[in-house]
Amino acid sequence: MDKPLRWVTVFGLLLIFALMVQVNYIQGSQAEKLQTHDLNNRQFLDVFKRPRGKILAGGEVLVSSTKPKESENYARTYKNGEVFAPVTGYFNGGANGIERAYNSLLDGRDKRITNQRWFDQFIGKKALGADVETTIMPAAQRRAYEELRRANPNLRGAVVVMDIRTGAIVVMATYPSYDPTDVAPQTGLKGGERLVELEGKPNSKGEVNERNKRLKPLINNVLEDTFSPGSSFKALIAASALENGYSKDSAVPAPSTYLLPGTRTSLPNSHEGGACGGAGTAPLISTFAESCNTTYGILGAQELGTAKVLETAKEFHYDQRIKVEPDLSSVQSAFPDADGARTALASIGQGDNNATPLHIMMIAAAAANDGRIMKPYLVQRVRAADQSVLEEADPQQLAEPLSGGQADQLADMMRAVTSTGTAKGVGDVAGKTGTADIDGVEYNNRWFAGFAPAQNPRYAFAVFTQGIGSGGEAAAPIAVNVMREVLKK
Amino acid sequence: MSAAPDQVPLPNQPRKAACLALLVFAMVMTLAAFAEVGLARDGRIPAGLLGYGGGLAVLAGAAYYVQARFAPYADPLLLPLAVALNGLGLAMIYRLDLSTSRDVQDAIRDGKKVVTSGLASAGTQLQWTFVGILLFALTVLFLKDSKILQRYMYTLGACAIILLLLPIVPGLGAEINGARVWIFIGPFSVQPGEFAKLLLVVFFAGYLVNKRQAMSLVGRKIGPLALPRGRDLGPIMVIWIFGLGILFVQKDLGTALLYFGLFVSMIYIATQRISWVLIGVGMLALGILVATQLPFLGHVNQRLSIWQNPEPYFDGGCLLDSGKVVSVAPGTEPYIAAGNTVGSGLAACAEMGGKFADSAQLMKGLFALGEGGVLGKGLGQGEPWRTPLAFSDFIFDSMGEELGLTGLMVILLLYALIVQRGMKTAVSARDPFLKLFAGGVSFVLALQVFVIVGGVTRLIPLTGLTTPFLAQGGSSLMANWILIGVLVRMSHQARQPAPQAIQDEGMTQVVSLR
Repeated sequence: MDKPLRWVTVFGLLLIFALMVQVNYIQGSQAEKLQTHDLNNRQFLDVFKRPRGKILAGGEVLVSSTKPKESENYARTYKNGEVFAPVTGYFNGGANGIERAYNSLLDGRDKRITNQRWFDQFIGKKALGADVETTIMPAAQRRAYEELRRANPNLRGAVVVMDIRTGAIVVMATYPSYDPTDVAPQTGLKGGERLVELEGKPNSKGEVNERNKRLKPLINNVLEDTFSPGSSFKALIAASALENGYSKDSAVPAPSTYLLPGTRTSLPNSHEGGACGGAGTAPLISTFAESCNTTYGILGAQELGTAKVLETAKEFHYDQRIKVEPDLSSVQSAFPDADGARTALASIGQGDNNATPLHIMMIAAAAANDGRIMKPYLVQRVRAADQSVLEEADPQQLAEPLSGGQADQLADMMRAVTSTGTAKGVGDVAGKTGTADIDGVEYNNRWFAGFAPAQNPRYAFAVFTQGIGSGGEAAAPIAVNVMREVLKK
Repeated sequence: MSAAPDQVPLPNQPRKAACLALLVFAMVMTLAAFAEVGLARDGRIPAGLLGYGGGLAVLAGAAYYVQARFAPYADPLLLPLAVALNGLGLAMIYRLDLSTSRDVQDAIRDGKKVVTSGLASAGTQLQWTFVGILLFALTVLFLKDSKILQRYMYTLGACAIILLLLPIVPGLGAEINGARVWIFIGPFSVQPGEFAKLLLVVFFAGYLVNKRQAMSLVGRKIGPLALPRGRDLGPIMVIWIFGLGILFVQKDLGTALLYFGLFVSMIYIATQRISWVLIGVGMLALGILVATQLPFLGHVNQRLSIWQNPEPYFDGGCLLDSGKVVSVAPGTEPYIAAGNTVGSGLAACAEMGGKFADSAQLMKGLFALGEGGVLGKGLGQGEPWRTPLAFSDFIFDSMGEELGLTGLMVILLLYALIVQRGMKTAVSARDPFLKLFAGGVSFVLALQVFVIVGGVTRLIPLTGLTTPFLAQGGSSLMANWILIGVLVRMSHQARQPAPQAIQDEGMTQVVSLR
């Protein structure tokens, strides 16, 4: 009987060996897959138990994790939260902004970290999150936020400034904003309630914060919402004209009124006299400086036509979502594919034309950078906890809608705006003003988009605020103040 | 005629010192596990260390005394191995015990949902350990000669059948977690199947010793295979039908597999004929094939379906006749349509005419294993309580979370060693009945570990069997301690030196009369 007993022993031990193989397979090679399995809610429960990396700007720590003594969870604190919220975003399990775009690196679970620290992982030491260094200039960002708040505390606004040669976004401010510390993990259920309130949704008691519903503080106005761009859009019509054989000195129609094709509505200019005072024609550059509505209505609807304007808009990526960082993209701006009257209105940035401040800024960037638009980005580099660089920004060209000559002419036209035109004498900047009427309300969208310094430009910007008055009066001075701070360095 | 002294084979030595050293090691491991739970949870040595750890140490010491005194030649590994497994299980249950587990207390305070169906209780488990070790001692003390059992084989076989049938008796048995394997006597609940298992091994061993000549010698030869006579197929048919009966009535694939595998392996040991194994495997395959085809045995199909693809069953899935699986988890459309309350998944599934099942427990067990990784979270530092029944059916996964792959390898090695020592006892036993008996109980342990651990690690479809020595439960602990007691006794008998001649002059023959 000993022989079969030995075989049964072998078989019994083989059964246990099979279990060993299976346990090795599950815990050895499948462990990570199981930890990140969709149905595994443990991964969401322990996100607060790990320290996240810092978010920095210009050497200043904007966001950091600390562990209070009495809690197992890490707290997340945001310095000047309201100022930097559109950049950093919030984190409370869910996230937005850089907190979302760089979640796996901040969290320490990114492959680049875990592969580097495989031994730590093997002995069960938690991988530390990486630090994210943004391209933001903190002083300028603070200035921009302050200017926006002062411009009108009860309406919306945005400022975006980009380095034209690299695409690095150095200012991205939005108003109204919120403090991400209010919804950070340490706030618990109160933070969740606050987030609902910020979203303008009914809270647990069914109450809705009307101000938040109207002003959307969680929305990053630079990227995530569109507004009528008003005359600031004329820069794109001018670019289209330059592309289609016009020069800055070409004589273009400049009547005092323009009867919109197929309607009885006539389009007036914003002011009497000057280049668009009824002489009939005027040089393109003068109509740009003085922002003649009639000229750009006629150019868009008749002389160029919808198709050509749409073509130019496409070259400027106007109809596309601009991917700033992974999981952090702008929405699309929109120019309507419509009949003459609507095209005419859209050509002066009214009607069905809606734009993000980012897209408007990109038009100025092309003018200032020989017709090239660099891909915008927000993160300069990512460093692991041991200070080794995991990721470094790699500037890339996004589009080249204009030739160098065309861009120079458009830039000259923008300089004319601040030397003789609607923003005369505002400061050492060049750009295009915009004032869009909004149906049903008393205030306007006030814009100023351009570049600075006026000669040898380095930065392109767009300023958007809401309130009584024009872009030249209200938005251009903000741009000058912010750009002064940006160029201080 | 006297043998020269150097020709006498060296008698086996009692290995009491080795046993004691290993036992001390097992106790150190257990006490360290208790200490780690406390240090990780509260930063200090837990109060339970003295009570539970100390209690186990005293019991193990008593067991050692009994073994050293009454079975000195016993295999030195068996007792320490059993104590180590029992101790680790006790530490894990202590860690999962509601009153020690701070995670659970925190979770309850934060208003989070906590699985509290059936609770871990280290106190109860220690009591059962006490009873188990007492039974071990009694077995070693009174089962002087295991061969006595052969005399009562039919009585014991009948007892086994009665025990197995008890849970079906109305008023005595009840269905818990979908399996009808419990009986209730006053405040106690007992799983009679655990004891029936041992009795059946006795019966099989006795029966096969009587019949093995006929079963192994008579028959036709077809090629290399020697086929048995038709009438010798009787017993295996009975067991086969019996196994299918368990499958039908108790819906317990694991138990059916366990008894059938046990019988086939014992026939093979008794007859040395591989044809019996082939016949057995063939019948098993046929049985499972029939089970998957019969409509009223759909749960077998479903078990296979969950095993192959558990994801759609998470928190409730519905297997339709077409073979499609529809999720009826909370939040899904059918769940909301059916009332959006507890039990809506089941109702929604019934409406669709499908079969409801839930793989959440299996998946959560696997997630616990994934969380553990290679080195584990450390005792007291994971969250194994997230898996329902983390202290009983899924204690292996709980161990995996906190002790990691390395810890599980140790546990599986402990089981492998018990099996190996048991088999060694069988090989060294002198009597065919004892060989069969020791081989049978050792193999049934290996098979049981395979079925339950394979189930919770998704190697095979999950069926509910207890994890020997680790899982919380009195019946299982008692039965397994008796098993170890029997093996200890038999190994003592096997290794005991033959009686020495009282006088070495003359022609006197020493005849052992036992």
